[in-house]
Amino acid sequence: MNKINFYLLEYAYSYIVRHKNKNIFIVTVFTLLVALLSTLFFITSSLQYELKERISNQSDIVIQNYKAGMPAAIDTALLDKLLEIEGITAGKLEVKGKYYFSQKKSTFYLLGVDAFEMQDDPLIVKLLDQYDLSDSEMLVSKNVKDVMNQAYYKEYFNFIKPDGSLQKVTIKAAFDVGNRVELKNLIIMSKDTLRKIFGYSANKGSDIALSVANKNELDFISSKIRLLLPNAKVTSKDDLLLEYDRLFDYDSGVFLSLFVIALFTFFIIIYDKANGLSSEEKREIGILKAIGWCVEDVLHAKFYEASLLSFFAFTLGIAIAFVYVFVFKAPLLGAIFTHENMLDIQNFQLNVHIELSYILLIFLLSVPVYIAATLIPSWRVATLDADEVMR
Amino acid sequence: MIKLENVSKIYGKNIKALQDISLKFAEGELIILKGVSGSGKSTILSLIAGLSKPTFGEVIVDGKKISKLPDHFAASYRRDNIGIVFQKYNLIPELSVQENVLLPLFPLNLPREDMRQKAKKVLEMFSIEHKSSLMVRNLSGGEQQRVAISRANINDPKIILADEPTANLDEKLSREFIEILRELKSKNRTIVVATHDPLFFELDFVDKIVNIEHGKLL
Repeated sequence: MNKINFYLLEYAYSYIVRHKNKNIFIVTVFTLLVALLSTLFFITSSLQYELKERISNQSDIVIQNYKAGMPAAIDTALLDKLLEIEGITAGKLEVKGKYYFSQKKSTFYLLGVDAFEMQDDPLIVKLLDQYDLSDSEMLVSKNVKDVMNQAYYKEYFNFIKPDGSLQKVTIKAAFDVGNRVELKNLIIMSKDTLRKIFGYSANKGSDIALSVANKNELDFISSKIRLLLPNAKVTSKDDLLLEYDRLFDYDSGVFLSLFVIALFTFFIIIYDKANGLSSEEKREIGILKAIGWCVEDVLHAKFYEASLLSFFAFTLGIAIAFVYVFVFKAPLLGAIFTHENMLDIQNFQLNVHIELSYILLIFLLSVPVYIAATLIPSWRVATLDADEVMR
Repeated sequence: MIKLENVSKIYGKNIKALQDISLKFAEGELIILKGVSGSGKSTILSLIAGLSKPTFGEVIVDGKKISKLPDHFAASYRRDNIGIVFQKYNLIPELSVQENVLLPLFPLNLPREDMRQKAKKVLEMFSIEHKSSLMVRNLSGGEQQRVAISRANINDPKIILADEPTANLDEKLSREFIEILRELKSKNRTIVVATHDPLFFELDFVDKIVNIEHGKLL
């Protein structure tokens, strides 16, 4: 088997074509299986990559105040207390939060900025360099601008404050978020204006963001903060990563139910193949042996046949999944991975990020299994006397 | 030289296809195995071809014990020494004439030009070269017979085995086949034909007629 025998390869190809109805069915199920699995891996690995990128732009630890189990404003005085904890190198009071725009059933993400404050996110840094924001102005993402336009807010928007009065803020500019999934509904304005919208007093904010020198100490410092502030919610980057992982585990479970159906069908084929060949297939092996082929030659041809078919179906499955996920943005199935409060992939191009280990895993789960299922019954028949097989 | 020494063949638990048969055929002979269906003629061909092994006894061809050969050697023995013409031709209908004829040589992976030349030569010999690119299923019975004979001769075998070769042919085509046998015999091939077709029993170039009944020689 050192050298490719093109005659056997051609024979294998002709065998596939001669049994086209059966093989079309096998290729369809095989391709569907590979496409489903690959879709799962493509979507999750792409989104996980995005999320990890997003987390990398966030603060090391975020602290939110809770009262009676509800999020509440946090006082800037706490910041000084927190900065005394060893290992914390910097901190700032943040003003940010969600704002539900009932008219268009959209949730905006409002971020308060201070011209003198360092920003972690490179996009925000770039925008603040580009635009000078006054207290009555805001920057909105293109998506937010579209939503506002649909509600006839072309130049400004009226935010409804907790007391029911309106806070009018002018749209200074709309910015493009590129492939930053999480910033799709972002609005940037001054912290003071945002405090008015959320009804916070001057020394209050939504959370405190902290930077830690040694990232390996995130858990340790988080637990110290929890002891200091038992009512606060302390979230570290590691916690977020764990949360996302759990989330994708759940989503993968939903998706796996679809996969199981395909896998079940695939194994019916494998079972059918492994349980024996049709009388026509047996007779053909008998003829080949009668005219001088040995068992090894028969298996060689069968190996080519199974490889051609399974490689074709595997490649097709991967290609379909790639186009479905990265070109068509995973319609229908993508919704399984959409979370209103975290991600909305509807208007986003999922970025091409493929884990080769996953592709290898799918390959090992399908191609060798199929080749073995083809070779085993052929071997059984080929080792019988040709005379017996042809009778 | 083909020798069967006290050969018995039992299928399953108790179906005695052959019972203690001893035969000897010399090189270049044409032998007719005569008998009704189920008498054991095809089993003798199968044993000589190494397609099955005797339950008892030995099959010896040119001093080699065929019945003892492992699969790999039995296959190369068949490829190098034996050409078989089956009753139902046993061609692959969806392959072309040329592909069917070359099928025994596929595992050898010979250069394409060599393969083409071999196919051309043998197809010309049996007057079927003009149909070489057609699919076998589109050929008549007589043409399929010629393809089967061409395939059996692709590697210049010393021994030709034919199992009821005229069972599916009319008299004219049967006589054409007999002429082909005459030509092969003139090339010193050893030919063993299993048949109950009376046309074979009156031929002037037959060396031996062996009568078989219920797996025994008469």
